[in-house]
Amino acid sequence: MIAFRNVRVELIRLMGICLFAGGSVPVAVAGDTGGVEEFKKAVAPVLDDYCIRCHDADTKKGGISFDSADPSALIANREQWNKAVKVLRAGLMPPKGRARPTAQQIDGIVTWVEESVFHIDPKNPDPGRVTIRRLNRVEYRNTIRDLMGVDFNTDVEFPADDTGHGFDTIGDVLTLSPLLLEKYIAASRTIIAKAVPTVPWVVAEKRIPGKRFVTSGKPATGGGRFGFNSDVLSLSYYKGAAYTNEFDCQQTGKYQLVVDLTANEQYVDNQFDYNKCKWTFKVDGKPVLEKEYSRQGGRPYRYDLDVDWKAGKHELAVEIQPLTKERQIRNLTLRLQGVTVRGPMAKEHWVHPVNYSKYFPAKVPDDAAGRRKVAQTILSAFAARAYRRPVDDASVEKLARLAEATYTQPGQTFESGVARAMTVIIASPRFLFREEGTVPAKAGEHPLIDEFALASRLSYFLWSSMPDDELFRLARNGELRKNLPAQITRMLADPKSGEFVRQFTGQWLQARMLDNIQINAFAVIARENVPDPKAQARQSRFRELVRKPSEKLTEAEKKELETLRKTAFQFGGRGRGRGGFGPRIELTPDLRRAMRRETEMAFEHVLKGDISLLELLDADYTFLNAKLATYYGIPGVTGDQMRLVKLPKDSPRGGILTEGTTLIVTSNPTRTSPVKRGLFVLDNLLGSPPPPPPPDIPPLEKAMGSKDGKPLTLREQLAIHRASPVCSSCHNRMDPLGLALENFNALGRWRDKEQGHEIDSKGELITGESFASVKELKKILVTDRKLDFYRCLTEKMLTYALGRGLEDFDTKAVDDIVNRIVAADGKPSALISGIVESTPFQRRRAEETDPTPPPAGSHPAAIQEHQ
Amino acid sequence: MNTNISRRHFLRGVGVGVALPAFASIRTGSLLAAETPAAAKLAVTPTGAPLRTAFVYFPNGAIPAAWWPSGTPGPDFKWSRTLAPLEPHKQSIQILSGLDHHTAEAGPDGGGDHARANGTFLTGHRLKKSATDIHAGISIDQVLAREIGKATRFPSLELASDSISKGTGCDSGYACAYQFNISWSSPTAPKAAETNPRQAFERLFGDGKPGERLANAARRRNEEQSVLDFVLDDAKSMQSRLDPHDRRKLDQYLTGLRELETRIQKAEKFGDAGKDPGVDTPPGIPIEYADYVQLMYDILVLSFQTDSTRVATFMLAHDGSNRSFEQIGVVEGHHDISHHFNKKELIEKVQDIDLWYVRQFAEFLKKLDAVKDADGKSVLYNSQILYGSGNADGNRHTHTNLPAILAGAAGGALKPGRYVKFGGKPMCNMFVGMAHRTGAAAVTKFGDSTGAIESF
Repeated sequence: MIAFRNVRVELIRLMGICLFAGGSVPVAVAGDTGGVEEFKKAVAPVLDDYCIRCHDADTKKGGISFDSADPSALIANREQWNKAVKVLRAGLMPPKGRARPTAQQIDGIVTWVEESVFHIDPKNPDPGRVTIRRLNRVEYRNTIRDLMGVDFNTDVEFPADDTGHGFDTIGDVLTLSPLLLEKYIAASRTIIAKAVPTVPWVVAEKRIPGKRFVTSGKPATGGGRFGFNSDVLSLSYYKGAAYTNEFDCQQTGKYQLVVDLTANEQYVDNQFDYNKCKWTFKVDGKPVLEKEYSRQGGRPYRYDLDVDWKAGKHELAVEIQPLTKERQIRNLTLRLQGVTVRGPMAKEHWVHPVNYSKYFPAKVPDDAAGRRKVAQTILSAFAARAYRRPVDDASVEKLARLAEATYTQPGQTFESGVARAMTVIIASPRFLFREEGTVPAKAGEHPLIDEFALASRLSYFLWSSMPDDELFRLARNGELRKNLPAQITRMLADPKSGEFVRQFTGQWLQARMLDNIQINAFAVIARENVPDPKAQARQSRFRELVRKPSEKLTEAEKKELETLRKTAFQFGGRGRGRGGFGPRIELTPDLRRAMRRETEMAFEHVLKGDISLLELLDADYTFLNAKLATYYGIPGVTGDQMRLVKLPKDSPRGGILTEGTTLIVTSNPTRTSPVKRGLFVLDNLLGSPPPPPPPDIPPLEKAMGSKDGKPLTLREQLAIHRASPVCSSCHNRMDPLGLALENFNALGRWRDKEQGHEIDSKGELITGESFASVKELKKILVTDRKLDFYRCLTEKMLTYALGRGLEDFDTKAVDDIVNRIVAADGKPSALISGIVESTPFQRRRAEETDPTPPPAGSHPAAIQEHQ
Repeated sequence: MNTNISRRHFLRGVGVGVALPAFASIRTGSLLAAETPAAAKLAVTPTGAPLRTAFVYFPNGAIPAAWWPSGTPGPDFKWSRTLAPLEPHKQSIQILSGLDHHTAEAGPDGGGDHARANGTFLTGHRLKKSATDIHAGISIDQVLAREIGKATRFPSLELASDSISKGTGCDSGYACAYQFNISWSSPTAPKAAETNPRQAFERLFGDGKPGERLANAARRRNEEQSVLDFVLDDAKSMQSRLDPHDRRKLDQYLTGLRELETRIQKAEKFGDAGKDPGVDTPPGIPIEYADYVQLMYDILVLSFQTDSTRVATFMLAHDGSNRSFEQIGVVEGHHDISHHFNKKELIEKVQDIDLWYVRQFAEFLKKLDAVKDADGKSVLYNSQILYGSGNADGNRHTHTNLPAILAGAAGGALKPGRYVKFGGKPMCNMFVGMAHRTGAAAVTKFGDSTGAIESF
């Protein structure tokens, strides 16, 4: 098949060259005439045999007609040909039961379409146009981290980026609203203030986190209530305790101790806790601070103490004693955030602030000219990194003048002036957007992007961040393009590539949605059983009561409501649910995180191990920790660490289809959605999403009926749905895929029954393959449909990497990559290097080029004359 | 935990009569009127008090049978199940029926009613069906911001209580931008809304504690100004290196710069007296959705009370939102059950969600009504606030006879306390009428308007 295509391409090329050599005919014309002539010869007969029966001018099924009364017009309909290529390749047309063209015939049509309809010039293919890319908030955060060493939480500070084609890397939709611009400017000030020192010398500081204080040699157990702030020492108001830390003082001198403390409480509605405690801070056994605390709601305290210390060990101690024995209502705690030892205070012992040498590597001279020179050097290097390309002298000069205007003011330091100029660099569009240069090219030829642009495309693709020193060095020396394979290998081995895994799977497989998706475990599990009328009555009563305005509720109703709030929608206490639903199940944040990691690690495993991409779909292992394994019902996994786990032989897990992530993001809050699941598979794994649903969906009341006193299963409801001709053409494709996963509930857990009926997961794909279980479906995907998967993944990743949606003329680039994957037995290295080396990744569209060449055959007479 | 405490503190300051700032703000308004006679007519009521306009969007339409009142139009209608919470505010609201958005209908574009409902609601413009090539229309609030925005420190305010990240895959081939934005400053530039209450508050009033904010805001403006001067040059020189297509992208950066600059200048011109509302800064996004929604409403109240802006939008959630409402016993997703197959139980649950949203709105009206304006009327009286959805019947995706409430008396121009039937007029006609009430006489046509609904 591949061989065949290559031969044909070669032939066309030869034709082109021969004609060109003849001197009278422009190259492009070969394709154009080929359009009509080739169509008549090679394409029309195939269409006549297999397609025209339904797609003639009269029947025009699905609005598609291959009537060739006016071949030029037919050929010019790019959109229709694009669709045709897709359905032919996916085996969706001709429909099951009808004779199908051979692989060679399909390939012939595809090749003809690429050349004569999409006008792909194999010698100068159109790389498409990527709208100048603004950094999205992930890229901004990473770039700031790599540039400045500061973590700036863009998830909180910036509005969410719009997505297009499923990704947030798309230049066209990454708009910059005035609100965001304001936030960028504010962020630049915050970041620089945090990262860049504004004075050259400071008193040395050493921070002892609260957690470093120990009792009888052991650190305290438990941090904050949520355990997230592990640096803190948490002391209870209700229990006496003493903790110490031994500080090793290097130099004799005057020191200052800064003690940071907060008094916290857990909030309880309208009830207060009046307990008090005494807190003592001791230095070398002597109490130096003694304070009393009552409830404080998180208020911070800071104490400064001066000490004269000799070199050697000094003991710091904190002690707490309860002062009262009131009833404990809230949980009151004193939290020692840490103690900072500052000193020695004498100036000769001062040191550079943290990060000083990172921004100010050379000594700052005292004279104006010398200072300006140093400022220029610093800012030139910084701007080049921030803009990710060389900076012109004029820009550097302006930045240096801005710095100078600041540091020559009274009370300002040289460092504060430079920091101010850096603020401006971070707020500049040259930082926020990725400007790309090109290498000069021959007229009409689409130019290569320059080495710096290539470095950025690579680093934002594989790291979601700016290039590192190595990439910059290669780009400066003009050696990056020559060293791509080695660089790709290096970049994927770098931990920063974890960000590619996270962002790509987060969007392609929608793992990002896991954080926020609402799934009601109680309702999901209730659905596995025959509905319990009592439970339904409780729920209905609850809704009735909350519907009433609260001021109209009687006392009795208020009480009833409070009871129902606890019982109507939650599992009963102590492990066993009231309705006999078994153990308490909840989609906790821990589980969500573990599932997201499962998805990421499975992808990373294949990517970094360079093993077949098909293992993404079907594997005899997955990634679990104890919690997730228990949740999935897989024995023998202990500990919190996520790791590769070989699955039991009969396990249905392993591969994207049966990952918790997939099963959950395709569900509704109370139930599975076979339709969403089917759509997910078609859209993200097979690359043949059905068109969107029609605007007028019939109401289908019957689908909500019942059978034998039990509500219909989703399978039964969908069958009624598919009986409607408006629905069947797409749902025949989606539903079997989704129904194959019905043994997994909306929480991603295995179940045998739905609404009391045994689940039946067998089915048949629209392309004819039948399966009895999800395990068999996986086998079909990795054998019969593997090319669809390669192509789909290639399209998704290429879209992500380029930052634009794919156009019809990209078909060729995608084909080339898919061929490389096939030749490499599905190795991801073939995919990644295929993308990086592809024309759209390497080049920019020549500016003068008209993006849409004239429709084929629009000047047939002129062309024939030339022949 | 702390979130709850702070929210209580914050609410105590709002609406419950910490009445001070409004007076100062009115002075600002009348001073401006004295200086520039032309501006005097802009967004003021007959007494000279500011006239505020807001648009509040709720998702997925409402069950029509439970939404619409029965009985005769006029003052003597019978309250419906869903609108009942508005009964105490009868004298401040009008129930509007018979308003349509035909541009949200499928037409030649097929599926995608949620994207269209959201994207056309304030634009009245047919959306270009594309995943990336965004083209809607300027929204009515932004038209007003251009016309009357100069009267206040902020030309407009955009809020949303929908923090769910923009997931992958939006509605039926439409760009996500349509489905997540109701406010559009140009056909290609959606105006992102502020979703974080803390940040929305700090943007309006400055950061830090009460009393420190004015100084903080002034310092921030100084620093912003110095950055602006420099990056403006940078952006212009970058423009010259880009091709025309990319240049348009960078225009968004320049537009942002100009807006920020105008705001800095305005802050100087208007002075800051009374702009610190003297309440604690609200925390970030609360866990409880009701708290979240009310906090955003509070910010809207404050911004109107302090006359920081006279134009605002608030998107409660995007159309197609699948949020579940466990607090009222609806554990299903909103969008999921909005397609209810005419099943009684599901319909009732959707009605409960509709009711929940209306209750939140009633709560907001209560607060706005408790704030006195300089002319002795309430801020609610001196407002016109449209509460509505871009879908009428969420089950069938219809866009005619949209659910709509108009709250406030627009300083006396409106006659609330009624149920009004328009019998099939473009919603945009209502928008044009609203624009005229603000004094924006230049707005003669908007979206698919065929005229103006002036007084009714």
